[in-house]
Amino acid sequence: MRRTTRPAATAVTMTTALAALVALSGCTDASSTSGNAGGKGTLTLGMTQDIQGWDPVNQPSYQGWGAAAVYESPFRCDALGKPQPAAAKTWTFKSDNTGVTMHLRPGMKFSDGTPVNSAAVKEAVKYAATHGASTARFVGMQVSTPDDLTAVISTKPNPLLTARLCDLKLASPKYLASGNRNKAPVGSGPYTLDASATTGGSVYTFVKNDTYWDAKSFPYKKLVLKVITSETATINALKTGQIDGSLITQATYSQAKSSGLKIQTQPSEVARLLLTDHLGKKIPALGNVDVRRAMNMVFDKDAMAKNLFRGLATPTPQIFRPGSAAYVKDLKDPYPYDVEAAKALMKKAGYANGFSIEIPYLQGQNLDALMPVVEQQLGLLNIKVKQVTLSGPNAISELLSGKYPIPMWVLGNYGESRLDIADYILPDGIWNVMHQTDPTVAGLWKKVLTDNPQQSAKDQQAINRYVVDQAWFVPMVSTGTIYAYNSKLKVRKSTDPSGLHPLLWDFQ
Amino acid sequence: MLVSVVKKLVRSVGVLLVVSFATFVLMYGNGPGIARGVLGTRASEADVRAEVVRLGLDKPLLVQYGDWLKGVVTGNLGDSFFTGQSVTSALSSRVPVTLTLIVLSLLLTAVASVLLGVAAAVRGGWIDRVVQFLSVLGAAVPAFIIAIGLVFAFAVSVRLLPATGYVSPDQSVSGWLKSVTLPVIALLIGSIANAAAQFRGAVLDTLSQDFVRTLRARGIPESRVVFRHVLRNAAGPGLTALSLQTLGLIGGAVIIEQVFALPGLGDLSNTSAQKGDVPLVMGCVLVTIVVVLVVNLLGDLVTAAVNPKARTR
Repeated sequence: MRRTTRPAATAVTMTTALAALVALSGCTDASSTSGNAGGKGTLTLGMTQDIQGWDPVNQPSYQGWGAAAVYESPFRCDALGKPQPAAAKTWTFKSDNTGVTMHLRPGMKFSDGTPVNSAAVKEAVKYAATHGASTARFVGMQVSTPDDLTAVISTKPNPLLTARLCDLKLASPKYLASGNRNKAPVGSGPYTLDASATTGGSVYTFVKNDTYWDAKSFPYKKLVLKVITSETATINALKTGQIDGSLITQATYSQAKSSGLKIQTQPSEVARLLLTDHLGKKIPALGNVDVRRAMNMVFDKDAMAKNLFRGLATPTPQIFRPGSAAYVKDLKDPYPYDVEAAKALMKKAGYANGFSIEIPYLQGQNLDALMPVVEQQLGLLNIKVKQVTLSGPNAISELLSGKYPIPMWVLGNYGESRLDIADYILPDGIWNVMHQTDPTVAGLWKKVLTDNPQQSAKDQQAINRYVVDQAWFVPMVSTGTIYAYNSKLKVRKSTDPSGLHPLLWDFQ
Repeated sequence: MLVSVVKKLVRSVGVLLVVSFATFVLMYGNGPGIARGVLGTRASEADVRAEVVRLGLDKPLLVQYGDWLKGVVTGNLGDSFFTGQSVTSALSSRVPVTLTLIVLSLLLTAVASVLLGVAAAVRGGWIDRVVQFLSVLGAAVPAFIIAIGLVFAFAVSVRLLPATGYVSPDQSVSGWLKSVTLPVIALLIGSIANAAAQFRGAVLDTLSQDFVRTLRARGIPESRVVFRHVLRNAAGPGLTALSLQTLGLIGGAVIIEQVFALPGLGDLSNTSAQKGDVPLVMGCVLVTIVVVLVVNLLGDLVTAAVNPKARTR
């Protein structure tokens, strides 16, 4: 076959030219691709999950910077859950946890011009008690409005009243009644949503509200939240300055450190098994405290912290956060790593041959490394672990349904430890999936309901010691979230009572 | 000619109905699960039941599908169960992103694979071997890995292009081009590999036919022989490969959009399917089907235009 060079040469030249053109289109103005986030008064933060609508009762505290930007609550809670002024300027709590009188700041307005007054607080409470997923927290809260700027809240004894009022987002009553809550927020926060620069699911832009009473705590004129679900994209955006900060995981921790980003870790979670069937209803063996104690003794917490969690964790025998009221300082681990002693306990309880259990597993919850270790170690006691993978929209409700008496999770803990007790230990706690009652806990909690702070700490610690002694959980390590940010940014140590990440006002 | 186009259109509508119905069936029946997803884990049973009714998830399958079809015809695709945003507005901001990726990739794939395929077939020798090798490599390495490599090379180590994000052309044309360069290259490499091999094979086949020898004997310049005569006959398999590529590109776009944090359809389909956000899923499926059908129709038309033998009545 005769070969000619012309068509071939043309072909090759054209392809090369095309490639060069594509590459060259990137060569213009390279300076604008290097990070300009953070300059000129704009704070750009990455979010690993999207904002699910603007309904004030559906705002999560996890990555809730959007809600914090547009909504305000009666109080701001500090790192230990103590109330700080927000919409309420001053207040007086009743000593038996049955209510509070709040004096609102004068002159505050919602973004639609309506005033932030005691009627608005009343509407907000009424709305929260009848809409959304947390109505149980606000039902029974009565609000009276002796004057425009005074709201008096009364409830049955509720030691979590402060936490609830820090969570309650005030929105314009007109907006709440309009039925259009998910479209755009109408609050009284430090920023307002700029709909023209917002694309749902991708980027949310907020502009500073200059008349906000605490404008100086929010130095940035513009806030941009970018939704980046892939961790690869997140770390790349951080490294190239496209975002100023984001949550990352242990997977990209070393990358972040070596590219000069600053890191903040919050010890806010305890990886654990929850042995919720302490009455042995579904799994008779679990009704025996020796079995539960034995399960605690087969985990080498030091090795797990060092290897599984790459050193970003500390062994712990209790589920509460250091510094919180229920936390027992220097609590000696009553269940040191001792497989032989554990086997002896199992034999004593009559379960030398073990038993079978199912442990639910969900993707994307940092359980991947934990599950094989749990299977292996419990296997040493002849406890056969069957992993049940849950997925899809039903996963969480199945997990919490009580079908699986032993969930395994890296669960968060709060600066306000009464919230932990409510969620994990009380019979109606959502993570106490078998919802079994216990007279000792009930008796102590009844006292906590009306205790003053000092006595409350004593009683909460008594609850803590009790559940440790009764081995209601198998706590392994205390770990937390990792927040990486641009080294030029000034970020205070997080004041989040849930210990999740820096809050909007921590970015200075 | 017109008759065959009309027949194709009718068939396309049929495909649309079948695929959308199949998707609906797959998502059907999970009312309480979806409602609980919307309300959160702390919602009471009564709240969940009320939400199921509010979202219309308690109605029978055919009624729900019928309602959705009615909506499609009147232009109302419903609202997201989770954010309340209208499906049309969610799609309208995302479709341009994915379309940019797919259209640019298709166009560049077409041009590059024709040129490379022809070069390999006509010139033979080292060009042919290189193209074959690159074809295998490009088809074997996933676009995901290519994307990560490109980001590392051109966005992180050398700050030439943005690592993430999409700039819409009405904001800045140069910004738009920069933001889609790396994603498009990542998608290109796999699809050129495939299509170039197809064109090369088809051209080789055609070159060995008698009429080519006759054309050369008549003294017609080789470039005209190749680009005017051979290519028209060889276009068929290549164009078919290109329309099939669209499916691969749409699938590849899902991952590429994640890696580059592009607010496109792929990302939306993925997240809404996982949550059970039925209106959004159906909207994405609708758009995807339409894109695939349009590309296939265009492919058929171009083939018919280029090669009279391929025209059907």
